[in-house]
Amino acid sequence: MELLQQHLPFLLSGLWMTVRITLLGIAFGTALGAVVGVGRALGPKPVIWLLGAYIHLWRGTPFLCQIYIVYFVLPRTGVGWLQFEAFEAAVVALTIYSSSYIAEIVRAAIEAVPSGQREGALSVGMSPGQTLRYVVAPQAMRMVLPPLGGVYVIMVKVTAVLSVIGTSELVRQANLAIQRDPSNIMPIFLIVAVLYFLFCYPILRLTQWAERRYGGLHLEA
Amino acid sequence: MEWLLDVYNYRVVADYLPTFAFGVWRTVWISAVCLAASLILGTGVALMRRADSRLVRAPATVFVEALRGTPLLVQIYLVYYGLPELPLLGRRLDELEGGVLALSVHTSAYMAEIIRAGIGSVSRGQSEGAMSVGMTRWQTLRYVVLPQAFSNAVPPVLGQTAVLIKDSSLLSIIAVFETMSAGLRLMSDRYMPNEGFLTSAACYLAIYAVMLVVSNAVQRRLGGTG
Repeated sequence: MELLQQHLPFLLSGLWMTVRITLLGIAFGTALGAVVGVGRALGPKPVIWLLGAYIHLWRGTPFLCQIYIVYFVLPRTGVGWLQFEAFEAAVVALTIYSSSYIAEIVRAAIEAVPSGQREGALSVGMSPGQTLRYVVAPQAMRMVLPPLGGVYVIMVKVTAVLSVIGTSELVRQANLAIQRDPSNIMPIFLIVAVLYFLFCYPILRLTQWAERRYGGLHLEA
Repeated sequence: MEWLLDVYNYRVVADYLPTFAFGVWRTVWISAVCLAASLILGTGVALMRRADSRLVRAPATVFVEALRGTPLLVQIYLVYYGLPELPLLGRRLDELEGGVLALSVHTSAYMAEIIRAGIGSVSRGQSEGAMSVGMTRWQTLRYVVLPQAFSNAVPPVLGQTAVLIKDSSLLSIIAVFETMSAGLRLMSDRYMPNEGFLTSAACYLAIYAVMLVVSNAVQRRLGGTG
């Protein structure tokens, strides 16, 4: 109990940072992923290839490696707006990382909408934009929900890795707390684990509920 | 080629080639060991989750949910710092043992779910048929249900293996030498982030490309749409 009183406020400040980074990453990553996914499903051939390369590039490398690249390599290009603070680098890396997974989900969902739906909409005189907006998107949306929840859980957990560039999120704060109180490594990390669990578990359950409700979407491994 | 040397000094990278080769070799065998261990442990957990008794099911469910609800990095720290405090182990686990243990246990939670789904996809008639020709429960499981479950589970297991390979990069944080550490070494020796990190990234991409080819070949071999 004393231990909780001593460390919890400090750890909670880390959790708050984790929540902020995750929410920003979810917002930007979902937007970027949706655009890339629509491009992958409906774009012309060259666009499909380019976006495919983009997705493979990010899915083929570990998140840890991506953070190092965003934080250490990009600033060396000398371009002004690529000079990131740790917080910005964290959000950028998380956005790009999640966009590659979300894009594949969006693409699979759009392709799962029967092509007769799109053809029908076009044949009654809807523009391609209207077809996407009023016919394809509403049907794809419900299929997207369960796997999207899965990606959000992964995003929460992956923010732990951001401690390596000194973002003051939960794991980083825990490491600092341990430097001050090295005899309590285990209890401190257990508290951290519980905090993450409290954050992730509701999303996990919501995802399972959505999957029962709307059915799963078949994704390639 | 002078401009390229400024951005990416391939001569220095060439000097470090043995370091990167060793890193990749380490990544591959750490992943292989963790894959084998997590499949064995995961199968056990999957069977527990399908047991009739609540007492058997509950701990397996807690195991899976707890591991899936917390970050791998925190699990690595817990195993690495925590296990030596258990009285059973007289000595401290070294980084490699602790890392492989944490990664195996973490992955086993995901493998358990995959195998559980694989078992679920084998139709009831199969096990009922096996029982009705006089097979024991163990024989039914061993010769009828599990072989079909595993073959159904192959595509998602390969996907999880790709995740496992990338996850193994986190072991560099507790000073296990692998692909990411090779890049970090170049970074700390010469302060060359481009050369260090981009080369590590290229190594991971190469491993990923091999995994894609393997998994496409397996998918074709199994003959379904996957």
